[in-house]
Amino acid sequence: MPNITVNGSAVEVEEGSTILAAAQKLGVRIPTLCHLEDVSAAASCRVCVVDVEGVDHPVPACSTPVREGMAVTTDSPRAEACRRTALELVLADHGLDSTNYCFSCKKNGACELQDVCRELGVTGSSFEVERRREPVLDANPFLSYDPNLCIRCQRCVGACNAAARNHTLVAGKRGTRTTIEAPFGEGWRATDCESCGNCAQACPTGALTEKRRASYRSWETERVRTTCPHCGVGCQLDLVVKDGRIVDAEAADGPSNRGLLCVKGRSASFDFVGAPDRLTTPLVRNPATGKLEPAAWDEALDLVARRFAELRDEHGGEALAAFACSRSTNEDIYLFQKMARAAFHTNNVDCCARV
Amino acid sequence: MAALSIAPKSKDDARIARQLNRHARRVEATPPGVCPLVAQLSLLRDGAAQTCGKCVPCRDGLPQLVALLERVAACEACEDDVARLRALAEMVRDTADCAIGYEAAEALLAGMDEFSAEYESHLLHGACRAGVGQSVPCETLCPAHVNAPAYIALVAEGDYAGAVNMVRKDNPFPTACALVCEHPCEERCRRLLVDAPVNIRGIKKYAVDQAPADTVPPAPRSVDTARTVAVIGGGPSGLTCAYFCALMGHRVTVFEAREQLGGMLRYGIPSYRFPRERLDEDIRGILGSGTITVRCGERIGAEELRDIVGTYHAVYVAVGAQAGKRLDIEGMDAAGVMSAVEMLGRIGDGDYPDFAGKKVVVVGGGNVAMDCARTSVRAGADEVSVVYRRRKEDMTALPAEVESAVAEGVEMVTLEAPVAIEADEAGRCAALVTQPQMIGAVRGGRPAPVPADKPQRRIEADVVLVAVGQDVECAPFEELGLSAARGRLDADEGLRAVWAAGDGEEAGVAVACGVAPAPAALRNVFVGGDCQTGPATAIRAIAAGKVAARNIDEFLGYHHKLRCEVRVPDPRPNDRAPKGRVEVAERPARERKRDFAGVELEMTREEVLQECGRCLRCDCFGPGSLEGGRVHYA
Amino acid sequence: MLGSGAMTNSIEDVTREADVIMLVGSNPEEAHPVIGMQIRAAAERGCRLIVVDPRDIGLAKRADIHLKLRPGTNVAFANCMVNVLLREGLVDEEFVRERTEGVEIMSATVRDYTPERVEDICGVDQRDLVAAAKMYGTAKAAAIVYCLGVTEHSTGTDGVMALSNIAMITGNLGRRGGGVNPLRGQNNVQGACDMGAGPDDLTGYQKVADPEALRRFERAWGVELPRERGLKATECFPAMLSGKVRGLFLFGEDPVRTDADTGHVIRALEALEFLVVDDLFLTETAAYADVVLPGCAYAEKEGTFTNTERRVQRVRKAVDAPGGARPDTEIFTEVMNRMGYEQPRLAPAEIMEEIAAVTPTYGGVSHARLDSRELGGRGLQWPCPNASHPGTPILHAREFSRGVGAFSTPSYRPSAELPDEDYPLMLTTGRILYQYNACAMTGRTEGLGEIAGGSFIELNDRDAKALGVADGDRVRVWSRRGSIETRARVSGKTNPGQTWMPFHFQDGNSNWLTIAALDRTSKTPEFKVCAVRVEKVG
Repeated sequence: MPNITVNGSAVEVEEGSTILAAAQKLGVRIPTLCHLEDVSAAASCRVCVVDVEGVDHPVPACSTPVREGMAVTTDSPRAEACRRTALELVLADHGLDSTNYCFSCKKNGACELQDVCRELGVTGSSFEVERRREPVLDANPFLSYDPNLCIRCQRCVGACNAAARNHTLVAGKRGTRTTIEAPFGEGWRATDCESCGNCAQACPTGALTEKRRASYRSWETERVRTTCPHCGVGCQLDLVVKDGRIVDAEAADGPSNRGLLCVKGRSASFDFVGAPDRLTTPLVRNPATGKLEPAAWDEALDLVARRFAELRDEHGGEALAAFACSRSTNEDIYLFQKMARAAFHTNNVDCCARV
Repeated sequence: MAALSIAPKSKDDARIARQLNRHARRVEATPPGVCPLVAQLSLLRDGAAQTCGKCVPCRDGLPQLVALLERVAACEACEDDVARLRALAEMVRDTADCAIGYEAAEALLAGMDEFSAEYESHLLHGACRAGVGQSVPCETLCPAHVNAPAYIALVAEGDYAGAVNMVRKDNPFPTACALVCEHPCEERCRRLLVDAPVNIRGIKKYAVDQAPADTVPPAPRSVDTARTVAVIGGGPSGLTCAYFCALMGHRVTVFEAREQLGGMLRYGIPSYRFPRERLDEDIRGILGSGTITVRCGERIGAEELRDIVGTYHAVYVAVGAQAGKRLDIEGMDAAGVMSAVEMLGRIGDGDYPDFAGKKVVVVGGGNVAMDCARTSVRAGADEVSVVYRRRKEDMTALPAEVESAVAEGVEMVTLEAPVAIEADEAGRCAALVTQPQMIGAVRGGRPAPVPADKPQRRIEADVVLVAVGQDVECAPFEELGLSAARGRLDADEGLRAVWAAGDGEEAGVAVACGVAPAPAALRNVFVGGDCQTGPATAIRAIAAGKVAARNIDEFLGYHHKLRCEVRVPDPRPNDRAPKGRVEVAERPARERKRDFAGVELEMTREEVLQECGRCLRCDCFGPGSLEGGRVHYA
Repeated sequence: MLGSGAMTNSIEDVTREADVIMLVGSNPEEAHPVIGMQIRAAAERGCRLIVVDPRDIGLAKRADIHLKLRPGTNVAFANCMVNVLLREGLVDEEFVRERTEGVEIMSATVRDYTPERVEDICGVDQRDLVAAAKMYGTAKAAAIVYCLGVTEHSTGTDGVMALSNIAMITGNLGRRGGGVNPLRGQNNVQGACDMGAGPDDLTGYQKVADPEALRRFERAWGVELPRERGLKATECFPAMLSGKVRGLFLFGEDPVRTDADTGHVIRALEALEFLVVDDLFLTETAAYADVVLPGCAYAEKEGTFTNTERRVQRVRKAVDAPGGARPDTEIFTEVMNRMGYEQPRLAPAEIMEEIAAVTPTYGGVSHARLDSRELGGRGLQWPCPNASHPGTPILHAREFSRGVGAFSTPSYRPSAELPDEDYPLMLTTGRILYQYNACAMTGRTEGLGEIAGGSFIELNDRDAKALGVADGDRVRVWSRRGSIETRARVSGKTNPGQTWMPFHFQDGNSNWLTIAALDRTSKTPEFKVCAVRVEKVG
C-alpha cells in the first residue's frame, strides 16, 4: 500500500490506485471531464492534470498510478493553466455557436462541460472555434448524435464497448477528424445497436443524447431512485419527474446493474405509468347490458367482498382462487396472498412464476 | 472470437510506406532559403496529421498551433499571438500523452528559440529576414557556390574544358573537389524528389578525367595592379586566394612551411584517395593564373610575420590546423605512438612507413582515422583496428569511408575508450588499454558514451595512431596581436582579422593593459580556412580563400570582375522518369589495399550522360530564374 | 435438491469470477439484457462460455462451445454431463462425501446417458458433449445459468434437478463464481414466490403442509388457515372448467395473452361465476371480468422488489396515481375487511415489518434499513435473518438449506407433444430485447414498436425452402389448439425442423398455439415445445 501526499496531506492507498482515486480518498477535488469510472479511461482531456514532484511535466491524475512517496500538487499554477488551456481547446472543438447554442441545448444545466468550465473559470475559447454544420444523426427512435457538439472524449465509446460490451459505437475517421460513428443514422436498423442508451448517459455534453431530454430541463425535475419494473435483474434507476409526470429514466449504480440499463429500463419503464388509457375508476359489469361500467369504489369493493364471501361460504374456500402479479411489490403480494388465505380461506393462490 | 487474418490491419500500410518514403525525400530536399517558419509549419502539420485523435492537447492543440503559426508565417500575427503560440505549445509539450504530440510541440518551441530573429522579423517588419528566399540548391549549398548545373550541362555536351573552367570560376581546385570533396552540393539536390541526388562529384570527376586541369588554360587575368599580397599557407585556402588575387592582377607571394604546396590535400589526404599527380594538375593550373611567387620551406614566425604585414599591401593567413591533438592518457610517450597528422604528413613528402608484421591501432572515428587505417593496411600491417568510443553510426567519417576501410580488412572496435598505452621494457608500445562504453543520453545533438560496467580490454598494438582532431598553431599570430579564441584565429564575416586590441577606445584599454595596439596600417590582415574555422573540409577552405581574395581586392580599392567566358548551355526539359544514381566505382578492395594508387575508377561516357540527364537544371527552372535565385560571387 | 428456485450466487461473482459459465436455455442478451452485458464482459475477460440452446442466440457467437440441442432434451444433456464427469473422474470427492447424499443411485441413473446415446437424443455431436463436460469439470469455478428454456417444459423440474447434479458432483456450490443460477423472468417473480404467492408455500418457503409453520401464521394473523392443498394457476384453469373453482381474483395478470393455449384460458374464464381483475389497464382478460379495479403502477407506490439474485431493493413513489386508482395494498385491505377479516391499514414499510416478523429469511429486511446510508443502496440478499445480518450473496456456502444436498435421479422423457405428419415442425417461444411479456408496459413506448413492433416466426432456411416461404412472407401457423398469422424470418438460427416465436405480440400471439401440458411438480406449461404446421399466406 503506497503512501503518498496530495497537496501536503498524507494518504495511504491501494497499489495500482490512480492519483485521482487517492485525491478522492483525501477529499481533494480534481476536476475531470473525459474520465468515467469503469467505463472510459482514455485519459484524453487533460482537465485533471496535476504536478508530481520530480516529474518535469504535469500528468493526468485519472490515469497515473501512484508510486510510493509520490508528492502530488493539484493546484500548481502550471497545472491549472494547462487545465484551462485544455478546456479552451475543448470549447473551440465543441463550437459554442454551431447547431445548438448553450441555451437551446438539451443538456443545458446538465452538461459536464458547462460545469467544469464554470468551475475553472473558463468562459470562452481564445482559439479558433469550429463552425461545423454537420448533419445530426437521429433516425433511432430514442437516441440522437450531433457531431457538431461532440468533444470526442469517447466516453460513449467506452460505454458501448467497455461497459455494455456491444461493440457497435466506435470512433471513426480518426486523427484530427476523429468523430463518433454513432449508429443512429439512416441505416440504424441494420446495426447491432441495442438502443440501450448507455452511450447517451455517458456523454458529458449534448452531443449524444436521449431524445427524451428535449422535453425537460434538468433543473425542472427531481429524481426518484427505484428498481426497474421489467426483468429480474433488479437494475437501479432514477425516474426523472417533472410536474408530477415521469419524463425520463437514468441508470443508477446499483449492485446488479453497475450503472447500466437496457433499452426497456431506460426508455420503456415509465411511459405506461402515465399512459392515457390507464384505468382511473372501478368498473362493474352491468348485468342488464353485459357491459363494464364505471362504479364507485365502495360499490365495487362491496360487490367483490360480497360475491367472494358468498362463493366461499357456499362452496368453501377451495372454490376461490387468486393469482398475483409477479411485477408488483413484495408488500402487495404479501397482502394479496394473506387476503387469499385469511379472507378467501384458500390455498389456491399463485403468481405468474410459471408463465 | 473473430478469426485472425494475416492481412495487415490497415490495408494500405505497405503501400503507404512507399508514399512516406517520398515524403521523407521531400523533407530531405527542402530547398535552401525556405523561411524557417514555413519549414516549422510543415513539420507541425505533419504532427497534426499523425495525431491518433485521442488526446485534446494533440488532437485539438496541434491544429490550433498550426492556425496560430500560419498567421505568424503570413506576417499577420501580433506579439500576443506569438505569446499564445508559445503558451499553447508549452501546454501541448507538457501534457500530450505520446511523442506524436509532445515532440511536435517541443520541435516548435525549439524552433521558436532558434529562429527567434525570424519570428521577430515577421512580427515587426512583416517580412522574412534578409536572405530568406529560395535559390538553386547545389550552388547555394556549395560553400564556394560553384555553378553545378552549368558544368553538368557542359559535361553533357562534351565540353569538358568548359566544365573545368566553369568550376574554376569559383573554385581553382576542380580536381581536388572531383576526388575528395564531401559534396554538400548533393545534400538537397532537387532530384531527390524524383529518385536520388545527382552524382555531382562524379560528373565533375569525369570532366577532370577527360580534361586535366593543367591542360585547360584559366580565364584571362586582369592587368597588373602592382599591389602585393602575401599568402601564408600553401593549402587549398591560401592557393585559392592566391589564384583569384593573381587573376585580379595582384602580385602574390605564397609562404609555405613544408617542402611542397597543397597543405592537407597533400599532407593529410593519402594518395590512394587523391593521387599526387592529380593534385599537381590543380596546382599547376593555379600557378599558371598570374604572378604567384612560391616560397616553400619558409616557416613564418612572429618576427617574419611582422615584416610581411609591414611589407605587403595585404596578407592572407591560411595556415590550417596542423597540430595533431594528443590523448591525455598514460603511455603516450611510448615508441610506436604517433599522431595521424605526423604520419600522413611524412607520407606527403614520400616517406612511407613500413608496418609489415605489425599490429596497428588507430584511435578516432573521423575521416582522418579512416585515412590512417587504410594507409596502415597499405603499409603492410598485419592487423589494423580503429578504436572508437561511440558507435559505428556515430562516426564522423563519411559512411563510404568506413565501408571502404572495413572492406580493406580494418576492424572497427567501437564503444571502447582508450585509458592507457602499455609499453614493453624497451619502451615500445605493446597494447592499448580501453574502457568499454555504453551509449547514453544525447548531448549537443549526439548520443554521448558513458563508461559501461564491463572490465577493461587490452588491444595488442605495435603502433598506435592518434586521430582525434587537429589544433591550430596560433602562437605567432597572437604575438602579432591577432585575436584567437578556442584555439582558432578570429575574423569577421568578411574574413578581416580581429585584433586583440580592437579599435579606438578599446585600443586605449588595450594600452592600459599593457598590450600594444596594432597600428592602423596593420589592418591589412585577413584570416581564413581551417585556422579560422577549425579542421573542416577542403571546399570550405577554398570558399574562404575566394572570399578573402574578393575582400582583399575591395580592401585594395578595386572592384575587379573576373571573366568566365564559358557559355552555359540552354536547358532541356526535365527527364522526369525515376532512375537510379550512377555511383563512382572503386577498384576491388583486395586489389587496391596492396598499393597507394587511386581507388576510384572512371565513369563511362554512357554513365555520365545518364547522370547529367538527371539534373533538373534548377538554374533555369523554378526559382533559379528569379531575381535572387542564384548565388554568385566571383 | 437445493431448496428454492433462486440464484445460488450473485450476478457479480458469477460474471466476474467464474472460469466457465454454462448458459442453459437462457438468452440473457434479450431477456436479461444487463446480465447479458455482464456475461459479454465475462467472455471478454477470458471466462469460457458454454451455450446450451436450440437457437443461435447472440451469445452463441461468443461461446467456446455451442450445444445446439433439440428442444426438450435438457435432462438427457445434463445427465450426459454427469456421466462424462464421473467417467473422467472430474468429481469433487470431498464435497460429494461431506455434503451430499444419494450419489450412488444418481450415478446408476446416469450410467445410460453416454455421449454416444445422448448424441442421438439431443442432436449434438458427442465430442462436443464430452468437451463441454471437461471444460466445466476442470474449471476452478463454473457457474450454471439457466432460464425458462429449462423450466418451461413438461419436464422442467427434472431439467433443473439434473443441472443441479452437475454442480453438486463438481462441488460448484457455495463457492464464488459457481452455483446454479436461474434468471428469473420478471422483476419481482422472486419476491412473489418469496411472499407465499404459491399454493404450497407461505412466505420464505415455509410449507403449508408443515403444521408448525401454519400454526405460526395462524397465531400471527389471528385466523384459522386452510390446510387443503391449493391449486397452481395452471391447474386452476381446468378446475374452472370443471366448476371446482368458481371465483377468481386476478391481480395484474393477463392470462388470455400470456398463458399457454389461449382458447383453453378463455373458456375457463368464461366458466367462472365471478372474476375480479385488479390492473392498470383494461386488459384482454379484464374484458371477461365482473369487476375491474384500477391499481397503482410501481412508480406510484412504496415497496420492494426481490431480484433474481435474492436481492431485496426499494421501489419508491415518484408520482401520484391517476384519477381514482388506489394502491393495491389498500384494495386488498378493503376486501379483507369487508369479507370479515380485520386487516389494519398498513403503510408498505409496516407491511414489510410484518413480513420480516413472519419470515425468517426476511427477518433483517426493513425499508429503513434498505434506505440507510450503511447499505448505500446495495439492498439485502436473503437469507437475512436479523437486522445486523449483512445478507447472503452466496447460498450453501457451508451447508445446504436442508442440511445435505440430495442428488436427484431424473430420467429423460420426451416433450408432451412432438412433431408428427400433421404438425411437422417444433415451435419454441421466447423473449426479444425490445419488448416485455405481453407488452402491457413496453407497448406503450412508441419507439419500441418502431424498432420491434410485430410478431414473427423464425424458420430454418431448409424448412422455408420446402414450404416455399421466403424471408418476410406472411405465414399462417397452426397447432392442434389454434392458428395465427405472422411474418416469417428465414435464417439458420434454428435447426431444421424447429421454429421459434416471440410471445409478446398480439398480432399473432404464440399462445394460441402453445400447449398447456404441465410439468409434474411445478405445473409450468410446456411453452417451449409444441408441434406446429406452417403455410404461406396468399
